[in-house]
Amino acid sequence: MSYAVLACNGVDKAEGALAREVGLLVAEATGGDVICPVLLNRAPDRYQKALGEDALIVVDGCGTRCASKLAAGVGAKPKQKVLLSTLVKASGEHLQASLRLAPGGMALAESIVADIVAALGAPGRQATPAAWEAPTEFFVVLFDKFEFRIPKQGYLFCENDTWARQMGNRARVGISDYLQQQLTDILYFNPPVLGARVEQFGELGEVESSKAIFEIIAPVSGTVVAVNETVVGESPELVNADPYGEGWLAEIEMSAWAEESELLLDGPAYRGTVGPKAADY
Amino acid sequence: MSENTFMGVARESIPWAPLIDYEKCDFCMECDEFCPHRVFERREGDVKLVVANPNNCVVFCRACSKTCGPDAITFPDKPQTIKLIKELRNAEGGAA
Repeated sequence: MSYAVLACNGVDKAEGALAREVGLLVAEATGGDVICPVLLNRAPDRYQKALGEDALIVVDGCGTRCASKLAAGVGAKPKQKVLLSTLVKASGEHLQASLRLAPGGMALAESIVADIVAALGAPGRQATPAAWEAPTEFFVVLFDKFEFRIPKQGYLFCENDTWARQMGNRARVGISDYLQQQLTDILYFNPPVLGARVEQFGELGEVESSKAIFEIIAPVSGTVVAVNETVVGESPELVNADPYGEGWLAEIEMSAWAEESELLLDGPAYRGTVGPKAADY
Repeated sequence: MSENTFMGVARESIPWAPLIDYEKCDFCMECDEFCPHRVFERREGDVKLVVANPNNCVVFCRACSKTCGPDAITFPDKPQTIKLIKELRNAEGGAA
């Protein structure tokens, strides 16, 4: 597979200096092409071939996420994305206020790049082969010109608009029709780490739309045993098209379903929260 | 506003809202432009943005902080907040 790397190179922030270095190192490690964000903005045609044929890796420096927005602006679908400000925070390191890569910055860049490259080569992750029947009966909440669908049975919701569907000791998890419509077009799903332990209402990856980055709130606790590779790799738009079916996000091997499900809402109860939420929005 | 509870607990009793670090904030207003819940309000003077309506903030939502270039927005500790909500639910007799 050939790669192209679009990295922030903002010269007004320390994260920009780090992002530039990370981008160059990723390009070297993958043999990928470097896309200059300034030139991409000025003359997108210059990169038509790379964006059309290569797997795109996007490196954002800070929360402004210029590189992601540029990629979205030209209709590119990133294969992988990283946001350095959150990775730096998670690493416990602090970036110096310098606009040049500070001493020690190179080691940090190299460790981030090692993670990016390792994730690219990760083996495919499997979903449960269990029988899976899509919901057929829905409540429909009407608001303004919107229609929000909620499966009548089989799905439990948390108040942050994610759902869990129990299958034995596993739960499949996704976002509600209401949330996908509020977020608008989903551009990317940054999945949780396979094998990671997640707490109920803890973070289960993020989805990114043209509007926002949204933390997925785990409706149940347990171990992440599968993520929806189709949504991650090729078709994040499935979350919009089929949020309760093909657009599921992850599966969790549960540890306390009986107790935790009491904190969740069934279809009729969740239905009662959607109208007021839409009215407040 | 509609019903002001979260997980069966009065919203006012859950201390969940953004905190702006004014040493870092450059008043770019990205967070305010993003948040549809009128949590922030703009002001005249040196401090051009404040957290005016903390109880409008959706409990556990941290999306505004992810729009922040200078990383000036923080939130309360989530596990502690979850613990508090569970305690409040139990104290109120467990609204199932």
